[in-house]
Amino acid sequence: MEVISLVVHDQPGVMQRVMGIFTKRRINVETIVVGKCEQPGQARIVLSVLEPRHVQVVIEHLRRQQDVIEATAVPPERHEAYALIAEERGATRLTGAIDEVQNVIEKTKPSRYIVTVNAL
Amino acid sequence: MRGAKLVVDVLKEQQVDVVFGIPGGVTLPLYDEFYNAKLHHILARHEQCAGHMADGYARVSKRPGVACATSGPGVTNLITGVATAYMDSSPMIALTGQVATSVMGNDAFQEADAFGLMMPVTKHNFRVLDPKELVPTLRKAFVIATTGRYGPVHVDLPVDVLQAEVDGKALSAPSEPKKPQKRDLSGLLDAIKLLEEAESPVILVGGGASWSQAGSQIVQFAELLGAPVVTTLMGKGAVPEDHPLVLGTVGMHGKQVASYILNNCDVLLALGTRFSDRSTGKLSEFGKATKTVHVDIDASEMGKNVRGVVSLVGDAWTVITALTAGMQQRARKDRSAWLRRVEGLKRECACSIDIGTAPVAPQKIIHEFNRLLPDDAIVTTEVGRNQMWAEHFFQVRGKRMFITSGGLGTMGFGFPAAIGAKVARPSSPVVDIAGDGSIQMVFQEFATAMENQLPVIVAVVNDGYLGMVKQWQKMFYGNRLSAVDLHGRLPDFVKLAQAFGAGATRVERPSELPEAITTALKSEVPYLLDIIVDPEEDMLPMMPPGRKASEVILGPRCNWKGGTTVGSDLARRS
Repeated sequence: MEVISLVVHDQPGVMQRVMGIFTKRRINVETIVVGKCEQPGQARIVLSVLEPRHVQVVIEHLRRQQDVIEATAVPPERHEAYALIAEERGATRLTGAIDEVQNVIEKTKPSRYIVTVNAL
Repeated sequence: MRGAKLVVDVLKEQQVDVVFGIPGGVTLPLYDEFYNAKLHHILARHEQCAGHMADGYARVSKRPGVACATSGPGVTNLITGVATAYMDSSPMIALTGQVATSVMGNDAFQEADAFGLMMPVTKHNFRVLDPKELVPTLRKAFVIATTGRYGPVHVDLPVDVLQAEVDGKALSAPSEPKKPQKRDLSGLLDAIKLLEEAESPVILVGGGASWSQAGSQIVQFAELLGAPVVTTLMGKGAVPEDHPLVLGTVGMHGKQVASYILNNCDVLLALGTRFSDRSTGKLSEFGKATKTVHVDIDASEMGKNVRGVVSLVGDAWTVITALTAGMQQRARKDRSAWLRRVEGLKRECACSIDIGTAPVAPQKIIHEFNRLLPDDAIVTTEVGRNQMWAEHFFQVRGKRMFITSGGLGTMGFGFPAAIGAKVARPSSPVVDIAGDGSIQMVFQEFATAMENQLPVIVAVVNDGYLGMVKQWQKMFYGNRLSAVDLHGRLPDFVKLAQAFGAGATRVERPSELPEAITTALKSEVPYLLDIIVDPEEDMLPMMPPGRKASEVILGPRCNWKGGTTVGSDLARRS
């Protein structure tokens, strides 16, 4: 799993621009988290891809975008997984290392869930 | 004042002296201001051509060309022009009208998502939703188009923003300072060492060197180092092709000597090139035994197609100047044996293209243009075999320029680009080497050339086929000619040009060429030469797609003996 962290101008169209880079290179984005960040008018995007292929080139292409302020690969020790699991009583939240969260999901086989990767 | 007035004022502030475009419903406020400002506007007959004209203008003047189109179909037509500029890193400002913000997204009349459509084919694009943002956005557009690696920038202008009452004070606000270009020359010393120790170094020049106008510095460095210079299609013309060290273009239809040298050197200095597959051949086979110093203004090109041993991020002019300064202080290796070998190979590759047989051989056309055009002529091309004849045989020397759609390969590029080039440099003769297929895509622009008294020459290399496709069908698809034969389906190009008021003549024998070209050069109106050529003359040599340089198909006229005629074992590997 490769995790890329971006800081972008928070405006319409920026997601399309960022995703365009991946579309063009036939890379499927596994997970994506977008949210406001410490800088006003800017947002942080954390996305993960399975294939390590071309990650450095993709980062350079992301940096070339005018709306991308920062683009870096996040080292594996800072990767975090976050899962939301639907249960009868309501939703359960799960956080931890990627493999820990994966293990729980494999063991409990919930009927509905979503997992995403985050990192700072 | 109106928002549209601010747009015109920023164009003037940016020293824009001409706009290429076609008006429409939502650009009416803008065109109303053009009327007031007496702005020089050239009315194209198709938005795609307005884009190519702005592109041609930019490639000659090295300043951004401005193209203007209305919303919806205006935008979708313009996209081909913008994408062509994007692939060849040409600076352009594309202004398009848009439906009013109040109805945006409702599928209003002539609405298209211009912002989304232009995104993948521009360096950056904007949609101005607030009239206050007009001035800063347009200024940013010019900065982005002309900073670092050049490229087109699109600005979408909703009609209500153009009509809005705005404060003219926005113009007196200071412009954003231009950000210094990101450079990384930390590998400079490694590069110098590598080049210094090279036995058989070669310099590969790409389009980046043209944009940064580094030609004379490159030649100086080549002389200092003792290295031959080869160019890509886009780099053609960046260095004078009559210089003894310059070997011509590499790649699919390049010169044998250039491709051979490129693939048989020990150290390669690549300047402003992205290693397109058309230049390198099969990428996995390219440069296996070569140490490469890759110089490009765009950091994202490093390692994209070819892994450089040393990567230098900066514009070609800056880097080559730094390399020269570094190299001058060091002891120079004697490379006279290498240069003798290169010289011998160049002789082995040389052939006469003064072919006197009828029907006219396409090479003969280029031969006559080489001979008869002055040293400040500009040649543009369409796309196809006409382009490859011109690439292979036209000699760019002195102030000559060669303009072609390299990356996108847009048929119909050459004629409108020639019109834009003529606007940028009216004193130079401008010739579009065209094909009978491609010229039919843009023939209507004779009206534009006539209206604006732009006497460009269109030389149609008329083989009655979509020749390049036919050649591929012949070579790789068992000669099953599908949808390429235009015989009997072609209009009379001479009469057609004359219908627009242009001059025109048909050439059927090689002996008629010199007089026809001379007449065309003297013409005060646009001039078409319909040159009937031998359709069986294939564009060879050819490196088949996906193959390596040593698997090239040679033509029957080719003298090349595989680089064996010159005795020296220096760097002979394949």
